[in-house]
Amino acid sequence: MTPRSVRRVWLLTLAGTVVWLAAIVLAPWLAARGASGPARFLYAVFAPVCHQIADRCFVLDGHPLAVCGRCLGIYAGFAAGLVLYPILRGFARVALPPARLFIALTLPMALDGAAGILGLWRSPIGLRFATGFAWGTILPFYFVAGVADLFRTRRERAAARALERRGSNKVE
Amino acid sequence: MDQQKPAYLRPALIAGAVAGLLSGLPFIGAGNCICCLWIVGGAAVAVKLLAASTPGILKAGDGAIVGALTGIVAAVVEAVVSIPLRSFNMELARRIVEKASEIGGDMPANLDEILNGSGMTSPGWFLLGLFVSAAVFTVVGALGGSIGVSLFGKKALPAAPSAPSPTTPPSAAPGPPDAA
Repeated sequence: MTPRSVRRVWLLTLAGTVVWLAAIVLAPWLAARGASGPARFLYAVFAPVCHQIADRCFVLDGHPLAVCGRCLGIYAGFAAGLVLYPILRGFARVALPPARLFIALTLPMALDGAAGILGLWRSPIGLRFATGFAWGTILPFYFVAGVADLFRTRRERAAARALERRGSNKVE
Repeated sequence: MDQQKPAYLRPALIAGAVAGLLSGLPFIGAGNCICCLWIVGGAAVAVKLLAASTPGILKAGDGAIVGALTGIVAAVVEAVVSIPLRSFNMELARRIVEKASEIGGDMPANLDEILNGSGMTSPGWFLLGLFVSAAVFTVVGALGGSIGVSLFGKKALPAAPSAPSPTTPPSAAPGPPDAA
């Protein structure tokens, strides 16, 4: 895998993340300015991935953001992890983080979420954001590696098929 | 594993159908509000199934492919499951709103519009929802698949008695502990 192809996946992911985060903030911004149609569209886009309960969302101009505090933390953490990716991992090689690091970063959010669901603990929005942020930081190390390797695998298999075809044509 | 294509479709169909069903059910479907739990979990389970049926070492790319396929299947199954349950979900939401308004709780941002059916139940909104779900679930599924390779992928091939020791593919297998 060439560093250039990994860099390309990283750049595309970074661009997508910026657009995704901008859309989260844009929804209340539009709603506050009376553009209810586009705001409703953006809220609907995020509805399949977040409960959007207003008292669990950060507020902008009197309107809740399009996702809850924990989801915002995950996406912000994802963006932070992406920024750190070239420093911590670089583009020369692609490898997945160890499973124990993933479990360690998942545990705070899982415990907080489970305690909330069981009614043992009602965490403040700041803590939800923080636990989501911690989890989100590791995700780009999986995503960029996975997608870059996906394209490499497809390219290699296509090349092998072409080679096979050429070989069988020669035999005939 | 490099050039030989693993059988992605079967694990993706099984795990995607289960993940989509769970996502479409009332109450249980709310699991997706916790960082797309059913989709990430479904993609990881698909990798587990793939690993069980594949002799070689799975790479991150294999996980991403089977995870993305799982996400697409889950989005379609969720959309199909949610059609007959739509009226039940509406009634459920209405009861929650009534109960919550009694105790003065805050409502989801667009719940009034949903309950009043202001266009949100039209075929256009249904298709938009399906498209958005498919796009998001594909991305999240690819992510879940890569995580699944890290959690469930074989770290090395079992040593063959007469063969030279197997080598790990150069890229994107579960990595050394220096990662991230």
